[in-house]
Amino acid sequence: MTNQQTAPASAHLRNVCKFYGPFQALKDVSLDIPPGKVTCLIGPSGSGKSTLLRCINVLEMYDSGEVRIDDQLIGYDSPGGKPMAPRRLREMRREIGMVFQQFNLWPHMTALQNVTEGLERVRGLSRAEAQSRAREALAKVGLADKESNHPSHLSGGQLQRVAIARAIAMEPRIMLFDEPTSALDPELVGEVLGVMKQLAAEGMTMVVVTHEMGFAAHVADRVVFMERGEIVATGSPREVFDAPSDPRLASFLQGYRERNSLDF
Amino acid sequence: MMETLHRYGPDLLTGFGFTLLSWALGTVLGLALGFVIEIARRFGPRALGYPIRAYVEFIRGTPFLVQLFVLYYGGPLIGLRLDALPAGILGLTIYGSAYFTEILRAGFDAVPLGQIEAARAIGFRNTTIVMRIMVPVMMVSALPALVNFAIILTKETVILSMITVPEIMFQTQTMMSETFAFVTPILILALFFWGFIETISRFGRRLERRFTHYLIDRT
Ligand SMILES: Nc1ncnc2c1ncn2[C@@H]1O[C@H](COP(=O)(O)OP(=O)(O)OP(=O)(O)O)[C@@H](O)[C@H]1O
Ligand SMILES: [Mg+2]
Repeated sequence: MTNQQTAPASAHLRNVCKFYGPFQALKDVSLDIPPGKVTCLIGPSGSGKSTLLRCINVLEMYDSGEVRIDDQLIGYDSPGGKPMAPRRLREMRREIGMVFQQFNLWPHMTALQNVTEGLERVRGLSRAEAQSRAREALAKVGLADKESNHPSHLSGGQLQRVAIARAIAMEPRIMLFDEPTSALDPELVGEVLGVMKQLAAEGMTMVVVTHEMGFAAHVADRVVFMERGEIVATGSPREVFDAPSDPRLASFLQGYRERNSLDF
Repeated sequence: MMETLHRYGPDLLTGFGFTLLSWALGTVLGLALGFVIEIARRFGPRALGYPIRAYVEFIRGTPFLVQLFVLYYGGPLIGLRLDALPAGILGLTIYGSAYFTEILRAGFDAVPLGQIEAARAIGFRNTTIVMRIMVPVMMVSALPALVNFAIILTKETVILSMITVPEIMFQTQTMMSETFAFVTPILILALFFWGFIETISRFGRRLERRFTHYLIDRT
């Protein structure tokens, strides 16, 4: 039972559609995210990567299809049924950690409080327990000495690592990252990717929307390429980067290489 | 002059008391009602949007004196028979709520959506998000406007004299009509409001520092 609850989760999307008004952001997307692996989502701006990610924890409610965490449907009561009760949705979200491009730390709380808040209010831990767990999480991301800093007194890389600590302290079984390094100065990207690699090595299920092709190439187990609300290609990093079969993927990578004049 | 003060001193003190009481209750209850209205607008059924807007526009679009007369003299017609003081406090509450709710709305709107989504993603319930994230974050931008309106309300309390609430204006007018002295009573009134408002401003600045301490560089 305990083992079951802390084991990494899988996620499954079946024919997921998402509309913003008349605009269809996700077109019949199906994707299996294997447990304990790193899945990277890449694709041009506006292709629906964030939307897909946010449908997994229902920050965006999808319009049709199914999203499951392991075998549990999230978002709706039953396939095609009514939206799920808020209480049930909150319970399921506890299993899903999320890290945002803009960090989204709470500015009025210290680094430590940012991490303890969820442990106390959602997990119902005592203050002392929450603090000891939060300190562990901050130590893990290398910020043990910054626990009493407010976000206004942390660098971008430190902010993002606090945000990761806030998520992992909740002991999620799957972690979602939406361009976690895109808002960082180049010299701060490494410290955040380092923490993410460490998480991956521990066997966390991770779904990472990223423009860091280097990270995708070296850390991802699977790479998923999206364009215009559809999954166009998926495969191992080798398959996707070295021998792109789809012409749209090839031209996307070509453009990326030209902009960054890099090889990977 | 000492003699008049001696004679009217106790009445003036009573007047101060009633003014402070009506202001404090009107402000606190008005803020509470404004908060409830804003939460209902934000999280309640969509159908509430229109009546709430109509309420706010009606209150903001009519003079407080008119609202007070409607409440005090019109109330009995629908079975709402209130004494002057409760009517005055209720009037201030309603009047304040319309302005407070608009200040809170702007404040909540300014809370970055990402900070709310981060809380949602962790599994916070809405009440926790409001009380632990939205209110403290919003206070940074909304507090000056809230304090400002609380100050404006101090001055609206004098209108309660029109429905015979024995507050400071009422006492001053009595004093003027009985002694035919104008300068002294008006001076006392002015001094009272000046001290009163200065106290509120100071308190407001202290509160502001409390809510923004984390933005200030302490190094
Ligand atoms: N709240 C919204 N309302 C309307 N349209 C939206 C909304 N959110 C996203 N969209 C549209 O949906 C499409 C997909 O957006 P999404 O944010 O998922 O793209 P993305 O792949 O994450 O892009 P980026 O790399 O720029 O972050 C875009 O065309 C976007 O304009
Ligand atoms: Mg995006």
